[in-house]
Amino acid sequence: MTRMYHNLPLDAYTSQDWFDREQRLIFSRTWRYAGLVEDVPEPGHYVSVQAGLNNIFIVMGRDFRLRAFHNICRHRGTQLIRAVGKTQKALTCPYHDWTYDLEGNLVSVPDEAREYPNGIDKSCLGLKPAAVDVWRGMLFVHPDPNPPSLAAYLGEVDPLLGPHKPEELVEYEDARQTYEIKANWKIVVENYIDVYHLSHLHSNTLHMYDHAKAEYGWKGPHYHFWEPPSEAYGKDLEANLPTPRVIPEQHRGAWVPMLFPGLGLGASEDSWNLFVITPLAPDLTRIENRTKLANATSWEYSKQSWSSAGFWKSFGGPKYSGDDVASEDDPMASGDFTAEDIYACEQQQKSLASPYLEIGPASTGESPITNHQKAILEFMAQQETAAK
Amino acid sequence: MDTQFYSLSVQGVEPVISGRATSVTFAVPEYLRQTFRWVAGQHLTLRLNVNGKEHRRCYTISNPPDGDLRITVKRVQNGVVSNFVADQLTVGTLIEVMPPFGTFKLTPDPLARRTHYFFGAGSGITPLYAMICDVLTKEPYSVAHLVLGNPKEKEIIFHDTLEELQTAYLERITVRHVLSSQSMWSGFSPWRKGRVDADAVQAAITEMPPVAQDTQYWICGPGSMNEDVARALANLDVPQNRIHMESFGGQTQTNRGIAGKAAAALVTLNGTTTEVQIAPDQTVLDAMLAAGLSPAFSCQSGVCGACRAKLTSGDIHMRAHMALDEKEIKSGDILCCQSVATSNRLEVHFPDGT
Repeated sequence: MTRMYHNLPLDAYTSQDWFDREQRLIFSRTWRYAGLVEDVPEPGHYVSVQAGLNNIFIVMGRDFRLRAFHNICRHRGTQLIRAVGKTQKALTCPYHDWTYDLEGNLVSVPDEAREYPNGIDKSCLGLKPAAVDVWRGMLFVHPDPNPPSLAAYLGEVDPLLGPHKPEELVEYEDARQTYEIKANWKIVVENYIDVYHLSHLHSNTLHMYDHAKAEYGWKGPHYHFWEPPSEAYGKDLEANLPTPRVIPEQHRGAWVPMLFPGLGLGASEDSWNLFVITPLAPDLTRIENRTKLANATSWEYSKQSWSSAGFWKSFGGPKYSGDDVASEDDPMASGDFTAEDIYACEQQQKSLASPYLEIGPASTGESPITNHQKAILEFMAQQETAAK
Repeated sequence: MDTQFYSLSVQGVEPVISGRATSVTFAVPEYLRQTFRWVAGQHLTLRLNVNGKEHRRCYTISNPPDGDLRITVKRVQNGVVSNFVADQLTVGTLIEVMPPFGTFKLTPDPLARRTHYFFGAGSGITPLYAMICDVLTKEPYSVAHLVLGNPKEKEIIFHDTLEELQTAYLERITVRHVLSSQSMWSGFSPWRKGRVDADAVQAAITEMPPVAQDTQYWICGPGSMNEDVARALANLDVPQNRIHMESFGGQTQTNRGIAGKAAAALVTLNGTTTEVQIAPDQTVLDAMLAAGLSPAFSCQSGVCGACRAKLTSGDIHMRAHMALDEKEIKSGDILCCQSVATSNRLEVHFPDGT
């Protein structure tokens, strides 16, 4: 009998076969986050991203429009460009120096007359186009050059993502980091959208928001979540914000949606954060964090830091203390909610291998988990039908 | 294409820019609603009798498709029709009007997410205005950037309406005025002085780079502006298929540098072949009309494409050919109203059923 984890077989979290199917049917067939607009700031700049099975690069033309192409030389398939960079007018493959212009046209084949005595039709050997668009200051790519628009994909959930305009904020470079979690990507997503755990795993780290008043739901495969500040935090919210506000004062709370597949946002009154989930293996997932804050003077930052110092001084603490602490670097004693989440995900993944594992009933606050599993099944079923 | 004329009654006549242009709305009876549906950017052909002589003119519809059927006609010095429209048209006048047509059109898509750049000058605003309205109301995820050239502030057609649109759709439309001969005493400060030229195009796109990456460029002005803007965009590597262009009536790119020869043409119309004598510098269309034939035609300025035919033998020169693209011209398509003969013998075939 297939052992189940709510709506999915346990296999979905451990097997290479499921991983491969998800790569093929989900991550290679959707709009995929590819960076922030400032990563491609000027004509000639480019950036590449692995989106499922596809490596796609984005380059800005002299008309300031972004173009996206599959990062594959039309000769022998070598990847044309590396992660990020700037070019003048052309992209050259390192293998045999085939060169393409920024429209993807093959413009030069070295030693053409000698190597191709019967001629070569360069006009049929342009780079394969993909699609690129911008949403709320984020770059998205799609492997199909004519996909359904980003508006069709995100339009319905957009009004529930908060009033933030990330394109007007500035990146806080110190918060930029990439790390790996030894767990399946769905375990990480489920942790992100599990409302039940907020008051428990994070009892001492995220209680500036009132989890009992959280409002959450789904628009298509996308999850939306909002919760108000707690009474203690909200009482003098303007003073308690650690950094200057990024949204108008009438807006309060935290917006923490999970856009399909695996793009978590975390937006509050004073910050906007990205939590990009990329599956690397059945039991390994990469996380990329980026944070944007108010475009304000250091004086304004200092003022806000002083006014909020009183609140944050006495706020928070570790989940475990005293004899419960296993070692000096015990994540459960860190007082850091990210460390707590990573710990929970990795411990859960370990147990998935046990023959004695039996998943208990899902709570109300865990309904997002069962819904995410359904969203995955539905998306893969649609893609399989479409492929037939 | 329906090339029949229908009698429409004038519903309203409104002077704009202090009478230097006139907006005319037509009442469309219920049974003609379908026939007179249009897409933003399309135009109407009017057939008018002024002092006993028939005149045809093409005018862009200056409203989006959910508005009144309206044209806005700029007064041309000594212009027979534009002055007639401004001075003599009254509510209730019946006018012969051909249903909307034209390939310069913007069809809004509620889920599309596009950055539309509009470049226009003078009465070139009329189709662009219809398009902008349609984008704002029916393509909610898209934005519009307008760069509009005029001699002076007081000649900006729809100036107030454009400002209202900017207030109503704050984050979805920008308007940049370029004025060529603004008085220094005027309180109005345009975005730039001069013309809508390559520098203006470059500056506008640099200031307003696209957010939605599906960009479209719509150009409507006098011929020389169109060429300048199209060339400027091409220099920025804008792909041709994203550039949409139309010259407006009266000032189409005309090349009268080549004189037409006298010629004999074998014309096949509705399956019947007739020999038609063409006088020096006479157009193929005029020669056919003089010979008593009745081919379809409309704007007589090379814009509409109603008189399109195939040249199967001989050579002609087209004074203007807005209605044809390069591919069509290569394949032998001609606009009879703009074609004069440059060889002694021609053979011209009209498509059947028109």
